[in-house]
Amino acid sequence: MGKLTRRALLGTAAVGAFGLVAYGGGRAACSFVPRNHPDFFSLLDIPPEGAVARRIGEGALAEASLPSDFDALATAMKLRPLIAEAIATDCPTTRRQLVQDQCAADFAEGRCVVIDGWVLSETEASLCAAKLLRPSII
Amino acid sequence: MIFDLQTGETPKEITGDVCVVGTGPAGVTLALELARKGRSVVLLEGGGEAYEESSQALYEGAVIGHDHIDVAASRLRQFGGTSGHWTGLCAPLDALDFEPRADIPHHGWPITRADLDPFYARAHPYLDLGPYRYDWQDWRSIVPFPALPLDPTKILTDVYQQSPPTRFAEKFMETVRAEPKIACWTHANLVDVTLEEGGDVVSSIAVHTLDGRATTVRAKAYVIACGGIENARILLNARKQRPAGLGNEHDLVGRFYTDHMTIETSMLLFRDDVDTRLYPTSLNYDGAEILMGLKVHPDVVKERNLNNNSAFLVADYGDAVFSDDFRNYGWVAFSTMLKTFSRGHVPDRFAERTCDVVDDLGSVATGIYRHALRRVLPEKPAQAFRLRQDAEQAPNPDSRVTLIADTDPLGLQRIALDWRVTSDDLLRLRRTHQFIGEQVGAAGLGRLQLGVSDPPDLSIAYSGYHHMGTTRMHADPRQGVVDADCRVHSTKNLYMAGSSVFTTGGCANPTLTITALAIRLAERLAVSA
Repeated sequence: MGKLTRRALLGTAAVGAFGLVAYGGGRAACSFVPRNHPDFFSLLDIPPEGAVARRIGEGALAEASLPSDFDALATAMKLRPLIAEAIATDCPTTRRQLVQDQCAADFAEGRCVVIDGWVLSETEASLCAAKLLRPSII
Repeated sequence: MIFDLQTGETPKEITGDVCVVGTGPAGVTLALELARKGRSVVLLEGGGEAYEESSQALYEGAVIGHDHIDVAASRLRQFGGTSGHWTGLCAPLDALDFEPRADIPHHGWPITRADLDPFYARAHPYLDLGPYRYDWQDWRSIVPFPALPLDPTKILTDVYQQSPPTRFAEKFMETVRAEPKIACWTHANLVDVTLEEGGDVVSSIAVHTLDGRATTVRAKAYVIACGGIENARILLNARKQRPAGLGNEHDLVGRFYTDHMTIETSMLLFRDDVDTRLYPTSLNYDGAEILMGLKVHPDVVKERNLNNNSAFLVADYGDAVFSDDFRNYGWVAFSTMLKTFSRGHVPDRFAERTCDVVDDLGSVATGIYRHALRRVLPEKPAQAFRLRQDAEQAPNPDSRVTLIADTDPLGLQRIALDWRVTSDDLLRLRRTHQFIGEQVGAAGLGRLQLGVSDPPDLSIAYSGYHHMGTTRMHADPRQGVVDADCRVHSTKNLYMAGSSVFTTGGCANPTLTITALAIRLAERLAVSA
């Protein structure tokens, strides 16, 4: 094992400091760069936890002829304008409102499903289904 | 004047301009309207001035179809008829109910809602109702609670009015007794109708008492106003000159029996901030007690092949104090007696009602306790509601009243009621609820869980005890027993009054329409008789 010299220590500290400055500066700079990284997973926090949402998810997959794999389901959902907007939004409150608006639009346009007796929008049924499918993906 | 056919000397013949059989809302209204126009009226009541077991027993019969119904206890054979125990909810039929519909066979009256509107307005005082206003727009500036913000081209706020409920015996017996133009005979049971030999004009009717007295009534015109089941029974029993029964040349008498399917099902859950105060209980404004429901817009009803329906919101309170689950026969008897005493009258069937209270003393005590607490506790608004409705049935010729071999003490054959509740009717109700759920979702107000299954469970439907359709009105004698004036097609002077003439049942409780039609018939008879 070689001897630890002062030169080596200073060099390591300098590299570390440079790395930190470079990373911090990079993060700061990147915050000004518009990006297109849809965060579909953030939507999966919207359906409540619990047996009811799970049963709706199962029902949606069994009865509502939804895609049975996560990617296809996510792709189909991203085609809905307010969902696409919600995915691109960082603010959880705005995101939730956009999802609710998309549900209302579904109802108004007749995109509804009946699962376990509940009259639901396709969007909320799809979200419950996606939440069920997620564990196998991440 | 009121006479008792069972006491004193029995007249050989009773005469008048018009003979009205039956003293329920149709018969009494008709008699009073005719008397006010100067016509002499013979008004016949099979029962007495109050409830009598022996008379009531004449209503017994068989139930051979859907069995959530009965044919005896639901009716009252006494002065005032079934108004003696009706619940009092009133609304006119909708314009839609009168229209022919391409999607529903046999739908459509030969008259319109506009034809009836003036008579509906005149019927209101008979039933102690408020102003003749059933459009929410007429009430929204008066009532301090908002309607749900639903798309008005899809879902309407429906307005009903609550009668006290008016008991025709309590309200009109003394008026009838004092009216010189009316000769009302109690214990006078119609047992036969005689036509002029070889003709189509009723010449007389035979009337018997249960103790064997008999007389004949002669008039220029005759009106049978005995209720939706008894009207058909009387015509079917009148076979002396018409072997199939009077007015039954086309095998229509007794057919098309329709009722309201009383169903409380499906659950609406609203967001916490949705104001629902308008709906769960009746409200008193502008001299009326009003109750609001949700109704699918008539254009949507036709477009989606639905039956007409008005859904009332029954609150499901988390706090039991605000729940009405104590309501049963005992409570209804208790509250009826309380209301009657408060109006200064002794309730009829006093012993029966008292025993109902005694039987259900626990429920009555719970009801009193909760009503007292509600006066002091702040109300916690419910956010979950069940939908309660008297849902319409599509006209169905196989749903019917027929005669059976068994006869009553007067020699008339009793009836069997074959009430048909169909899967189609219930699936239409399911689609109606689904549409309401979609509209509540579209407005972002909440969600609905359907209570009508697919395929449907027919046992969720109970009779509203609204017996309708058995002598239906139609311009074509091959499709209806009476014409637009309620005259039996195949006779010149026999008329039917009451809900038996309803061509469709709509979803409105029938008494207001029964009363309006009686006033309308009186207008016609006052001219012709």
